[in-house]
Parts: sequence; structure tokens; C-alpha cells
Amino acid sequence: MATASLPRQRRSRNPIVAEDRIAGWVFLIPSLIVFTGFIFGPVIYAFWLSLRDYQLINPSKAHFIGLDNYRTLLSNRDFHVALRNTIWYTIGVVPAQTAIGLVLAVLANRKIRGRSFFRTAFYFPSISSSVVISIIFLWIYSSNGLLNFLLRSIGLPTPRPVWLSNPNGMIGMALGWVGIDSVTPWLAGPSIAMLSIMMLNIWTTTGTMMVIFLAGLQDVPGDVYEAASLDGASRVRMFRDITVPLLKPVIFFVVTLGLIGSFQVFDQIWVMSEGGPAKTTTTVAYLIYVEAFEQGKGLGYASALSVVLFAIIIGLFLIQRRFAGSNT
Amino acid sequence: MQRTQTPSARIRRLSLVFAVLLALGAIAPVYSAVSAQEQTEVRLTGWTASPEEDSLLVQVIADFEAKFPEIKVKYEPVPAEYPTKLQTDLAAGTVADVFYVDSLLAPDLMTNDVLLPLDDLMASGGVKTEDFYPGLIQAFQNDGTTYGLPKDFSTLAMVYDQDALTAAGVAAAPTTWDELRDAAQKLKDEFGSPRIVIPADIARYLAFHYAAGASVLNEDGTEIVLNSEEAATALDFYYGLYRDELATTPADSGAEWPGDALAKDLGDIVFEGNWVFPFLKTNAPDLKFGIAEMPAGPVATATLAFTVCYCIFNDTEVPEQAWELVNFLTGPEGMGKWTSLGLAMPARPGLSAAWLAQYPEREPFLLGGEYAKPWQLGPGGQRFMEDANGEMQNLFAGGQDVATTLANMQTRAEESIKLGQ
Repeated sequence: MATASLPRQRRSRNPIVAEDRIAGWVFLIPSLIVFTGFIFGPVIYAFWLSLRDYQLINPSKAHFIGLDNYRTLLSNRDFHVALRNTIWYTIGVVPAQTAIGLVLAVLANRKIRGRSFFRTAFYFPSISSSVVISIIFLWIYSSNGLLNFLLRSIGLPTPRPVWLSNPNGMIGMALGWVGIDSVTPWLAGPSIAMLSIMMLNIWTTTGTMMVIFLAGLQDVPGDVYEAASLDGASRVRMFRDITVPLLKPVIFFVVTLGLIGSFQVFDQIWVMSEGGPAKTTTTVAYLIYVEAFEQGKGLGYASALSVVLFAIIIGLFLIQRRFAGSNT
Repeated sequence: MQRTQTPSARIRRLSLVFAVLLALGAIAPVYSAVSAQEQTEVRLTGWTASPEEDSLLVQVIADFEAKFPEIKVKYEPVPAEYPTKLQTDLAAGTVADVFYVDSLLAPDLMTNDVLLPLDDLMASGGVKTEDFYPGLIQAFQNDGTTYGLPKDFSTLAMVYDQDALTAAGVAAAPTTWDELRDAAQKLKDEFGSPRIVIPADIARYLAFHYAAGASVLNEDGTEIVLNSEEAATALDFYYGLYRDELATTPADSGAEWPGDALAKDLGDIVFEGNWVFPFLKTNAPDLKFGIAEMPAGPVATATLAFTVCYCIFNDTEVPEQAWELVNFLTGPEGMGKWTSLGLAMPARPGLSAAWLAQYPEREPFLLGGEYAKPWQLGPGGQRFMEDANGEMQNLFAGGQDVATTLANMQTRAEESIKLGQ
């Protein structure tokens, strides 16, 4: 930034600065090539594709169709379903991973024996391969898996169809028990299959959030707690009135990460449920893949979906920033 | 590194090295370009279901290369996600010269000008459409043009655990829906859990649909008539087995697919194709299983035929050589050897006697070939299948009744399937 404000003639007059500048660019080139070729370029290209009818089967027939893809999308049932699933997923996962991550961080920050063991143990799921973890959870959720075994051994019923094959909405089922039938699809809630995947993702992402909170906790000055304890504040009170307010910027960061991650969830779904049963685990990110590559409406439509997903994430970020206040 | 150098000189030197390396990287691909070969290369791709299948195809290809020494076949099997791979290869223009197309996907490709019409090549090679089962070759014809020749076919039949049926007091394999339900009850009484394994999948349900006299399209293929009284009878029977806990799904039983349930003794009756043989041989070598035709429904005995063809890419640079390969693989010699493993049945009626002599106990599959309906639903069929399976999954979960399921399937079919005019 400082060099940019230098007077123009100084650049050419000073050979050492000029040489350093060239060297700087040369070193930047590899990452610039990667960034342009694999991130910035495809992003621009996706915008362009979203205005075209582009089928993978026959790209030579591709042609410009203006905003037709966006019009289709607005009235498309699959998109509505995917958006609904993604929203339920986000409502379930983001608060849980933030709250549990924060509590774990506070606990792991205390001077207890085996502290580093707990930190590693909680962080471990986050750094493991999501595909490997998904396959392990496939076994846990299977008909003769660990979860059903535990439920049976304490005499509880198990769902039929089994967890990842069950499209019944959680809220709809709960309302059914109290005698209210046939709620609208929007209120049926996440399916049992979706809940299973949400549980898995809360478990894997909480560790990452914990590590970020731990880093934030190092910046909270210890004398504030000392003063509070001299005044006779309880641990709960200190957590509520000191830790949480001072961690506000970190909470903002964690919630942002969580929102972005939730709106982009793909790999666990691809491995565990392929969007089923009855499309109840088809998220927007998964729908993009289906529409592009699996006999869907083509790459152009899928690009329009990804542009909309991008707009949703940016919109959420801006709303959240407003609510979080300007100090963050 | 030289200690006497100043840091900036070192950076300059390093950046020079870097720039040279980058430049070299740009040139490198030129060196890897191969020189022209005397043989013409034909690329062949398909999916592979088992190592046995793979090695057999390699043998058949070796026979072809011995007969046509001027043609070299480059076989590139795809282990998973074949339709996705095929589509991206088509988009990139890097698709193989000859590739597998299954009957469900064929209409989408035939209507998109990506397959080479074979009629002229067939006429010059003396290949007649009558050499193949009509139901199979029709799956790869559109508007009177043939785009692919079927390599083999499979049908659904009832595969059952002989000892389990005997233990439950079922003397003979059920031949009607009533007998099937009766057998299901006896099996459940004997073993305490449902022993028929059926998935919430229209690729199995449709066999029951047709057996009740229901259809998907009307006679001339201009209208979708999926929702009907006959269909309600069929779906009520199929789903009824699960609802009344006389049947289970693969997932509920703890299996990957029905054949897996049979192998792991999680079920005793499944409706699957000839592809179960290598699987059962490997995973349940001691299982004594029987094979029978699909139980007859109220109107007919029905089954589905699954077939795959060899197609040639429209823009291939070696159409003659690609045709020689397709003609050999689907000809009496190549197909005879290919089907001799017993995985799938010959698509040429002329070869069926020899196949049956080798695998007499598999006759029910071959018999099904005479009345089977092809697993094909028109352009957009693949997408409809996903929607329809979703409806079936909702039905199985008790989220909606049979009538709603069929009405929804009808709507989905009208949205997805592009009908002929």
C-alpha cells in the first residue's frame, strides 16, 4: 500500500525499487495464475454460463437465453425444496456448532489436567476426511448399526424406514403426535435423514469453531476476570457478562463461517444420501451438482443456481453484519 | 546458496530461475505428444461391474485385435459415475469412439445428435435389425434410425433361498401374487421378521405395474397414463408387502441392495437380474438359491429388460474402425464369447440356445426376455426416475397414500418425459 502512494517518477528513478517490484511480481505470478485460472476466471465464466442454455450432452447447441434460467429457477419446485432443506439445515447446525464450540472452548481453556488431550480430541473430527467420517456414520446409522443397537438395548423404538432412508419431517411428526395432521411442506421440518446428517456435521464442525474461540479467549485479559471474582461474580455470570461480550467479534466470525459452510454443504450428502430420500437432503449446493451433471437442466441452469446461492450468502452476511453492529 | 550474495541479488537470481521453470512448464506438453502409429487406435469406454467382467471383455478385445491387426483398441473402463463421466467427456469432446449407453439414457443421447447413425454401416456389413431381439434394438432406435447395437441384456426374475422356503413350509416357488404374499407370511411366521426384500425403486416396481395391466405411456407413446386403477392395484400390492411388514427394504434389512440381503441372509426372496450370480458366487458361495419367473399379477406375467448398447460417437475420426469393433462385439462371435460368462444374456436370439445349454438353471431369465418391457421411459426418463423414486420413498415412509403417490408420479412424468408427436 505504501508504494502505491509514492510519487510516480520515483519508481523509474530508483533502480533498486524497480527491481524489487519486478521480483515481487515474478513471485506473485504462480499464485496469480492459480487464482485467476481456478477461482476468479471460473467465477466470471459461471456468470456468463448462467445466461446460456448449455447442456453437457451437446455443448455445440449452447446459446444465449438471457435471464430465462433465473425465471425457471424462481418457479422450480426442486429449487424451492432445496432452499427449504438448506434453511432447515442452517437453522439446526449454525446455532448448535457455535454454542457447543464456545462452551467447549471455555472448558478447554481452563487449567485442568489433560487439557491438550481434550483440545485434540474435540478438534480431531474437523481435520479428518469428510468422506471417511461420512462412511463411518453410514455404518452408525445403518439398520444394524451402533445407533439402532443402543436404542434397542435401552428399549427405545427405531425408525422405519431406517434413519438415512426416512423422509418424514421432524416437526410434522411431532405435530402428528399431538393430533395435527398434514402440515405444509415448509413447516414439516428437516427429515429424519436430514437430521442424521445435521448431527454428523455439528459433530465435525464444532471442533473448528472451538479452536477459533480458543484463539479469541487468549485475547480476553485475565485481570477482568480477577476483578469480577473479587466482586463475587459467579462463573456463569462471568461467562455471560465478560466472555461472551468480549468474544463478540469472534462470534461474528464463527457464525459467518458457519453460515457459508451450511449453505455449501455437499460432500457428506453426496456420500451418505445422494439427496434422498424423497429429496429431503437435497441442498442447494447438491442441486447444483445434480442439475449440471445428472441429467438435469444443464450447466447453464446450474450456474444460475450457483449465482443465486452466491447472492444468498452475500445477503446473509450483510444482514448479519448489520445486526452484529459496526464495531466488528 | 552463496553467502557473498546480497539478498536482492539472490531474489533476482531466484526469480530468474522461477521464470525459466515456468516457461519450461509451458513447453513441456509439446514433448509428450506422441508420434503417429501405424495402427489405427479406437478408444472404447464403458462401466465395469466386476473384475470377472473386466477380464472377459479384455479377452474378447484381444480376439478382435487378432482378427483386425491394423486396429488397436484402447479400453478405458469407468469404475463409477458413468453417466456423469460420459456427459462431461461429450462436453469436452474427449469422449471415446465407442461407448456403452444404457436403455434409460439412450433417448436423451439419440435426440441430441451425438451418436453416429448405424443404418448404412449395418447395410454394408450385412447386419440386420432382425438379428437382435426386437424389444432390445428398438430401445436404441429413434425415428427409424438405429444408433446402437445391444451388447447383451438382463431381465428381472425371482431369486430365492431354497432352504429358507423349505423350512417355512413353502413347497414350491410362488407363481402368483397371492402365492407370493402367502409365502411372505409363512416366512415371517417361521423367522420372525420380513424375508422379502424390495426397494422403494421404480426399476423394480414397474415389473409389478406392468403385471397388473398398467402402463407408463399409451400405445402410440403420445400420452402418459401412469396413474390408473390397475396401477393402484399394483402399487398397493407392492407397497402393501412393506406396510404389512411382510417385506423389508435393503436399507431396513441392513443390506446395500436386495442381492446383498440374500447373500447376508437378511432376506430370502428378491427380484433381481442375472447380475446377482457373480455377486452370490463371491459373497455367499454356499447359498442354495433357486430362480423362478416373476410371479404373475392379475393380468399378466411381466418383467423389465435392462439392456446396454455399443454406440459410436458422431464426430469420431475413425468411423470405419469403430464400426468394425461394434460389429465384432455385437456379432455372433464376440457376443457369444462375451455372454459365455453367464453375466448377461445374448441379445441375438440365434445365440440363446447355446447360452441355455451352458446355464440351464437360468432359463427363467431368458424366458422373461419374451415378454419383458424395456427399461426405458423416453427422453427425460432418467430425471423422471429420480422424481418417481422420491415419491415411492415418501409412500414407504407413510408420508402419503397410494393414490397421492400415483397422482404425483403422473405429474412428474408429464413434466419430465418429452413425448413423441
